[in-house]
Amino acid sequence: MKFLTLFGILFLIIQGGSLYSEIVVEDVPNDAGEALMITWDLPDDVGNISMYRIYRLDPGAEDYILVGKVENPNVNVFVDHDPRYPLHAGTEFVYKIVPVDFSQNEVESLGTSLAVSPVAQLFNFNKVNSLIATLFVFAALIFFLNYAKTGKGLFIRKIAGLDALDEAVGRATEMGKPVLYVPGLSTMSDVATIASINILGPVAKKVAEYETKILVPNRDPIVYTIVHEVVKESYLEAGRPDAFDTDQVFFVSQQQFAFVAAVNGLMMREKPATNLFLGMFWAESLLMAETGNITGAIQIAGTDSVTQLPFFITACDYTLIGEELYAASAYLSRDPILVGSVKAQDLEKAIILFLMIACSIISLIAVLAFNTYAFNQVISAIFSF
Amino acid sequence: MKPKEQIKNILATDCGSTTTKAILIQYDPEAGRYRLIVRGEAPTTVEAPFEDVTIGVLNSVKEVEELTHREILQQDKIIKESSENRGVDIYISTSSAGGGLQMMVAGVVMNMTAESAERAALGAGSIVMDAIATNDKRMPHERIERIRNLRPDMILLSGGIDGGTIKHVTELAEIIAAADPKPRFGSTYKLPVIYAGNKDAREPVKERLEGKTDLFIVDNLRPVLERENLQPARDKIHDLFMEHVMAQAPGYKKLMSWADVDIMPTPGAVGLLIETVAKQEDIEVVGVDIGGATTDVFSVFKDRTEEEEKPVFNRTVSANLGMSYSISNVMAEAGLDNILRWVPFTMEEKDLRNRIRNKMIRPTTIPQSLQELKVEQAIAREALRLAFVQHKQMAVGLKGIQQERTIADAFEQVSTGETLVNLMNLNMLIGSGGVLSHAPRRAQAALMMIDAFLPQGITMLAVDSIFMMPHLGVLSKVHPQAATEVFDNDCLIRLGHCIAPVEKKRRKGGEHCFTLKIENRDELKIAWGELKLIPLGEGEKVKATIIPERHYDVGDGYGKSITITLEGGVVGLVVDARGRNPFSLPSKLEERINKLEQWNKALNIYPEKE
Repeated sequence: MKFLTLFGILFLIIQGGSLYSEIVVEDVPNDAGEALMITWDLPDDVGNISMYRIYRLDPGAEDYILVGKVENPNVNVFVDHDPRYPLHAGTEFVYKIVPVDFSQNEVESLGTSLAVSPVAQLFNFNKVNSLIATLFVFAALIFFLNYAKTGKGLFIRKIAGLDALDEAVGRATEMGKPVLYVPGLSTMSDVATIASINILGPVAKKVAEYETKILVPNRDPIVYTIVHEVVKESYLEAGRPDAFDTDQVFFVSQQQFAFVAAVNGLMMREKPATNLFLGMFWAESLLMAETGNITGAIQIAGTDSVTQLPFFITACDYTLIGEELYAASAYLSRDPILVGSVKAQDLEKAIILFLMIACSIISLIAVLAFNTYAFNQVISAIFSF
Repeated sequence: MKPKEQIKNILATDCGSTTTKAILIQYDPEAGRYRLIVRGEAPTTVEAPFEDVTIGVLNSVKEVEELTHREILQQDKIIKESSENRGVDIYISTSSAGGGLQMMVAGVVMNMTAESAERAALGAGSIVMDAIATNDKRMPHERIERIRNLRPDMILLSGGIDGGTIKHVTELAEIIAAADPKPRFGSTYKLPVIYAGNKDAREPVKERLEGKTDLFIVDNLRPVLERENLQPARDKIHDLFMEHVMAQAPGYKKLMSWADVDIMPTPGAVGLLIETVAKQEDIEVVGVDIGGATTDVFSVFKDRTEEEEKPVFNRTVSANLGMSYSISNVMAEAGLDNILRWVPFTMEEKDLRNRIRNKMIRPTTIPQSLQELKVEQAIAREALRLAFVQHKQMAVGLKGIQQERTIADAFEQVSTGETLVNLMNLNMLIGSGGVLSHAPRRAQAALMMIDAFLPQGITMLAVDSIFMMPHLGVLSKVHPQAATEVFDNDCLIRLGHCIAPVEKKRRKGGEHCFTLKIENRDELKIAWGELKLIPLGEGEKVKATIIPERHYDVGDGYGKSITITLEGGVVGLVVDARGRNPFSLPSKLEERINKLEQWNKALNIYPEKE
């Protein structure tokens, strides 16, 4: 029995709790020592109390500072975690609770706590699910990378828009007309622009191999510089550096509709056989796609901008929808590392999708048939990461 | 040539690589139709020591004379005035002797104009030795070397739509000019080159090729990317085949003077016949002719991508798949495992290899034992399967064309250039060539075709009785009625309908697949994995309702029942529920052999004892 009492005391000390006081201060677990939880015994008569003010005495300070208030007189818990009054792990703090009456006058303090210091934990147990998910992501990634490297080949479903790139360039060659490639109107910070440039490389290489012409108008000066280098590099890779014409890649305007007007004019004058709109687009998507359709070009579009997708789908021959745009470089190159990572991501998404559906069903059942609290706890724990 | 109404006696020959086949067709007033009377054959005499194709023709016609007691020849010439027992009204011929017509094609982009050129050449009955294109990943000197080494009979140059690229076409013309190709036969004439490309590039092409080759210019075979115009190029190929290739081959000048219509390349004639039959009966057909050196596949399928469904004819020739000269190549391409999977007994790989090599070096031998027959038929299945795979790759829609989309296409964007071969729509599958036409039991031919082509839904199986499709093909040009009547009654042996349901995904063996209700007969319940023969004689037609389970499709969609008229044949009604998605054989040897024996027994393919 004595052993148990001693163990209990030791536990409270480790946890940073104060002993034999009406005000108990405890360390908030699973953090970096930045919060303390204060609990107190409610006074016998709370009818005259409108709120509680929580004061803290920092080490070396002479006066208590107000760190917070609890406006419900029946609540006796407060967590001190205000970045304006930061706590530091290993430093001792003393708290006092002062009730306030309805005239906003402070009445007699409920007492002071023992000096307690917040403790930084090495491990945040609330994030165990994130750890599991991360480990799973890595495991899946490593597995698929190794599997892809064995040369067994991973299945990626057919993406008609990417398969059509070959024939798009072929069409331009047969017709003796150029290929128009618009890498979106956004900047390099946009993932869609990066994905578009990844596709531009193989397209430009194919254009060089077929000895035809590509036109790449740009809206952003930084994107322009990168695109210029990518196209140049592709011609070099195809063994045709001599065929690269620096004027094929050009800057038009940073103004959205000035850019659109220029590109539409280009389409009407040059009549490209193939238009590729891949990247981030806004209101100009339909203007460009419709103009291209009128000129008789086959058009391949791709964007992750959900609002523009319907316009592209109806006005273009092929449309890469959202993630398909990101998967393009893996699809086109069939590089084991890229294909493996796409596969791993797909698996993760499938699992998340499955969990969402499963948990929704569980919640529904819980609401209809059982006490929902326990279920909701489980579900919120799963999705808390 | 006499008017069509007066043609009563028709003599037709086909000069093959090894044998020349002659047939006599006569009008039977009692039956009120044309009939095949007799067939004679003799070795082809194109090669030394004879070097005159007409000797073989005369020998085969002599056999016809002997068998019919009709006088057809007089002083080694065909009598063209017919009376009761003398002469014929018309003489026609086809030829594939000396390797047939061998061509090279060139186009700007491999799967666009080069592919169209290939289709034009194949449709005209030639063998395409190679296709050259800007994107064929070869260096110019390699292309030049290739043209020089292959020595084709003629070259078909295409590329660019009208108003399209000139640069690329000119480059191709320069490559041909630099190769300075020499024809296979005859050293005195220039190689014929047909230009069927961009009309704006005609002058530059002329400048480069006119002096060095015999250049002919025809309409662009791809005037716009959305449309093919193959007929002018095909007609020109045919003319040049007559004027140049045939005229140079030994004895052909004489043969041409005998024939009442132009001599056609054998595959061209077969293709023409299949096209005619498909058109007349409004059906979708696949025909296959498996020979010793090559396997030809012909198909007529409707292009359902267009608003107006129009039949599209396609022919492919698998130059390296055959049952004698090319048999080793079948082994190399299919792999021993794939051949062995059809052999219903235990066999060492080494044994199979030796048998195949023996057949290659002794191409005229035929199986002497039941075991040898089973092995040969196993190889034939693989040769047919591979030829059909190649055909599916070539029989495709046009690539690189603009498409119309609606929002409904968001998740199902169909690509252009998809294969036109849809086995569910196939109405008739016709087999020809020694291994199919001369199989000891017709059921063997039926099962070989089913295993190789895996027909889906309801398909009529048929074989060419004595390989006279080439004769009838050329006859259809002058007398379509006679050709159709003989084809229907004497040439085509109907084996019977094959019912093959397609499952959504692989099912469990023994699961109920569909119910077959035949008028005035007991209802039949068919399980998945089963192969069954239902007796139904030649010419017998029955009304039947097929009620598939929800995971199975017999032609009208999954789970949808159909009521149709089923026709029997010399084999009967074949029910093949062995699965199509995919069709597979057990991997364990013992199980596989048991299964094969079970199937063979079901169709009574082989006798019980050797």
